[in-house]
Amino acid sequence: MGPVETYLIPAVNGVAYGLLLFVVAAGLTLAFGAAGVLNLAHGTLYAVGAYAAAVLTDGSWLALAAAVAAGTTLGAAAGAGLAVAVAPLASRGHLSQALLTFGIALVAGALLVLAFGADDLRPVVPPVLDQPVSLAGRAYPGYRMAFIAVAAVLAVAGWAVLTRTRAGARLRAMVDDPDMLAAVGTNPRAVLAAVLAAGGAAAGFAGALGAPIIGAGPRTAEMVLLLSLVIVVLGGLGSVPGAFVAAIFVGQVQSLGVVLLPGLAPYLLFAAMAVVLLGRHRRSSGVLPGGHR
Amino acid sequence: MSRVRTRPRIVAAAAAPLLLLAVGCGAQAGVDEEPDRVTIGFIASLSGIYQTVGEDMRDGFELYLELNDGMLGGHQVDLVIADEGDGPATALPAAERLIAQEQAVALAGVVGGGSYAAIAPLATEYEVPLVGANGRPHLEPDEVEWLWHTSFISDEPGEAIAPYVREQVGGPVYAIGPDYQGGHDELRGFVDTFTALGGELANLDGQTRWTPFPDTTDFIPYFAEIAATDAQAVYTFYAGRAAVDFVTQYAQSEISDLPLYGAFLTEGAVLDAQGEAAEGVWNVLNYSPDLDNPANRAFVAEWTARHDRVPTTFAMASYDAAMVLDRALAAIDGEVTPRAVNEAIGALGRIDSPRGPWQFSQTTHAPIQRWYLRVVDHDGGELTNVLVQDLATIGD
Amino acid sequence: MTAPTLRWAGDDRLSGPPVPPWAVAAAAAVLLAAGLPWLVEPYTLTTLARIMALGLLAVSVAVLTGHAGMPTLGQVAPYAVGAYTTALLAKAGHTTGPVQLLVAAGAAGLFSVLVGIPLVRTRGVVFLMVTLAVGELAAVGADQWRAVTGGTDGLAGIPAVTLTTGGDALTVTGRYWFVLGATAAALALVWWWLRSPMGMVLRGIRDNEARMHASGHHVAGVLLATYVGAGALAGVGGSLLVATQRYVSPADVSFHISALVLLAVIVGGAHSMIGAFVGAALVVTVRDWAAATVPGHGPLLLGAVFIAAVYALPNGLAGAWRPGSGAWRPGSGAHRLRRAAGRLAPWSARRGQDR
Repeated sequence: MGPVETYLIPAVNGVAYGLLLFVVAAGLTLAFGAAGVLNLAHGTLYAVGAYAAAVLTDGSWLALAAAVAAGTTLGAAAGAGLAVAVAPLASRGHLSQALLTFGIALVAGALLVLAFGADDLRPVVPPVLDQPVSLAGRAYPGYRMAFIAVAAVLAVAGWAVLTRTRAGARLRAMVDDPDMLAAVGTNPRAVLAAVLAAGGAAAGFAGALGAPIIGAGPRTAEMVLLLSLVIVVLGGLGSVPGAFVAAIFVGQVQSLGVVLLPGLAPYLLFAAMAVVLLGRHRRSSGVLPGGHR
Repeated sequence: MSRVRTRPRIVAAAAAPLLLLAVGCGAQAGVDEEPDRVTIGFIASLSGIYQTVGEDMRDGFELYLELNDGMLGGHQVDLVIADEGDGPATALPAAERLIAQEQAVALAGVVGGGSYAAIAPLATEYEVPLVGANGRPHLEPDEVEWLWHTSFISDEPGEAIAPYVREQVGGPVYAIGPDYQGGHDELRGFVDTFTALGGELANLDGQTRWTPFPDTTDFIPYFAEIAATDAQAVYTFYAGRAAVDFVTQYAQSEISDLPLYGAFLTEGAVLDAQGEAAEGVWNVLNYSPDLDNPANRAFVAEWTARHDRVPTTFAMASYDAAMVLDRALAAIDGEVTPRAVNEAIGALGRIDSPRGPWQFSQTTHAPIQRWYLRVVDHDGGELTNVLVQDLATIGD
Repeated sequence: MTAPTLRWAGDDRLSGPPVPPWAVAAAAAVLLAAGLPWLVEPYTLTTLARIMALGLLAVSVAVLTGHAGMPTLGQVAPYAVGAYTTALLAKAGHTTGPVQLLVAAGAAGLFSVLVGIPLVRTRGVVFLMVTLAVGELAAVGADQWRAVTGGTDGLAGIPAVTLTTGGDALTVTGRYWFVLGATAAALALVWWWLRSPMGMVLRGIRDNEARMHASGHHVAGVLLATYVGAGALAGVGGSLLVATQRYVSPADVSFHISALVLLAVIVGGAHSMIGAFVGAALVVTVRDWAAATVPGHGPLLLGAVFIAAVYALPNGLAGAWRPGSGAWRPGSGAHRLRRAAGRLAPWSARRGQDR
């Protein structure tokens, strides 16, 4: 078997993983860029969606759809709730807001464990999706293949909203210059609520669809948050396109990286972070263009 | 706090005759006289990622106590339970409190090998016996004076199953495991024994493949790599969520038709999350709930009467830890001190455990015990680990 | 609220300030703490020693957050460097306590230089996020770099610390005294440094960076020095933790430890050194109490306290940026700042915003 075939599956897999992370990280980077909120409960929003899927799915398509709807709705509601919770702290600086979201993450995480137990749960997806699909003669989990398609559609749709609609334009303006936007009469609180709710919806959606891939458990929130943070820093704070490239990169590091550079895989993310940190000498943001502040 | 008692604990020399009486009539002592009390500290993860294992262990220990009217060796037990949390950061203060403040005569439990490694020097410094019932770190023979285990040493499962795998699999076997000490020990046990028997690893460089721990959640790239070798089977060790990820993804991968052998892998609550993906996974363990011996029949009956889950090796080993303390305390002739308990444990002979009879090795202070091959199969509609055969008795 | 002794006279920088009464109280507290081994059991001593180690980490966070205006989530990284350095030194046979402390402080300081050079150029929420990433990656590094850190199993079997080279291994009580002495010395050093002209410049930068820059102060240099100093302090804390518990694992440097320390700083007040230290004592006591009383519900309790503290103790945090409102030398902060930086605008949201 040639090397190309060996690396095909990990490469495709890296795309699946990267897209999953992108859907989560996009919300984090926007909340960060547009509202200046470092949302440490973002991973928890993902976990809420993941648990919704684990609880609701029973192998039928209807249940899967219900789980995705529930995850998205819960994520959006939780995001809006976070916006309400952090709003009174707006004058108190970023650390207060970050710490509050962290406290909320701790409480929510503990409540999730109380409600669903400390074990990792796995959703039951429709049997068709459980079948491996053939990829250039190699078997690959069918669910992941389907996920790539869905996530790609979502990414394109999100991109269209961001670049083609008025709301998207405002959001981008907010990232670029919040003071200017406030001066022209947009209420920053409304933007904060909208961004956190939209980010929460995306995270909840990703959680519901990602649970069959990375599960739902007590560690899920922290792991997703950490990877999202890495992506946001790598991609340039506040930059959605940057987050996309960084997410695919992180996905490939986690997938192709362990095959190509087995000994170094655990350190690759460090190395990338170090490069970006040192790159701050010359640039005020990530390695990629499009980042702000 | 999980205890009901009055302090301080008094151990008077006058209790000696009463003790003899207690030994004489087993656990039935204290008919009209108040039996004296001993404090036992129990440490297990009641929060965090090992919570399920910790609760199984606590329930196993408490089951034994309950079946013996709250007594061990004729002494009323004040069981003080402390939360180990996710590891040493919480386990260490908990152990310190049990030893220095609660004055426990012995400690038992401990989920994580890392926690155990952290507590072990403390137990040795304060000279209090520590009867571990799960994770066992690497210990030198001169370190174990106060340290005991009712579980097993990490390289034994692999050692037990390697001859069977060598016999069943006609070709090379791919070895893969988590990159931490426990994982290295588990895989070394298998690989060393397997290659010594003439077996060949399918791994490209002839070395076990290590996956970063605990961060690996995606095994698909590793499976792609295995598919590129001439492996005829895969041997691994994972526990907890990694075991869930490994087994579910294995079933969907391009190597799903290769036989999968493992240590632990499908034990306990992970099997529920693995579901149908786990069917047909061969695994080696020192216990199986369907073992046919009187001690196990009683244990399983009492356990399932109280819990809606099958007993695990975690629960069994903690049950045994209580049994060890029961037997040791009963054998003490005189004042119950940590030193007396430690010496009594060292003098114990055969333990008739639900896993079958075992005894402590004098060099490792861990069990010399029998190992079993199990396979995940439907048993009355439920997926469970079904006993296939005995493998070997191991321990030194 | 301003006691006469706390006021700085016109040119007393040369003669040094008078010793305020609370300094006497602090000295008395240290003496009292030194006498505790005759009053309490060894378990309490070990707990206190652990509190002091975490207390130094809390002070390190408070210095950066409150005095330098650099709200950090990543001080657990130099703390980890100090802890693992000490563990490795001890395992290699270098058990001399003071040497361990110096090397740990040096290693943590060096680490902070490397991280700090790019970091001090960022502000506000960017600084917050990058420090969080640094802290998280340090925890992951402790997990993954098995050859050095022992991986998730950590490093066990660390020989007890000695006071002098070739001296006797210290007992529980001896280790407590060692930790107490080192903590008192470190806190005195921090206190002296925050009162020094550089400490005042630091607060000037915190409150109006542009003005300090314009008046010729080397802003980046002062911030970097502070970051490195705070890193070395955290490194000492990590070293003392290992001296206390003779064990270190990734759990000791995890984000949960960062969270605990942040909670301590919120409770104690970010610009109060003593407050942060006392906050650490409170938080650790509550954590241990919770683990014993309601096992399994520690995280829930911790999170609830977190939320309550953020809302209910605005002075803890606001004090970080509002000179004069906190507990640390009441009234004097604003006074001295005026001397250092000229008349400042009252607290503005400047530092709260990004640059």
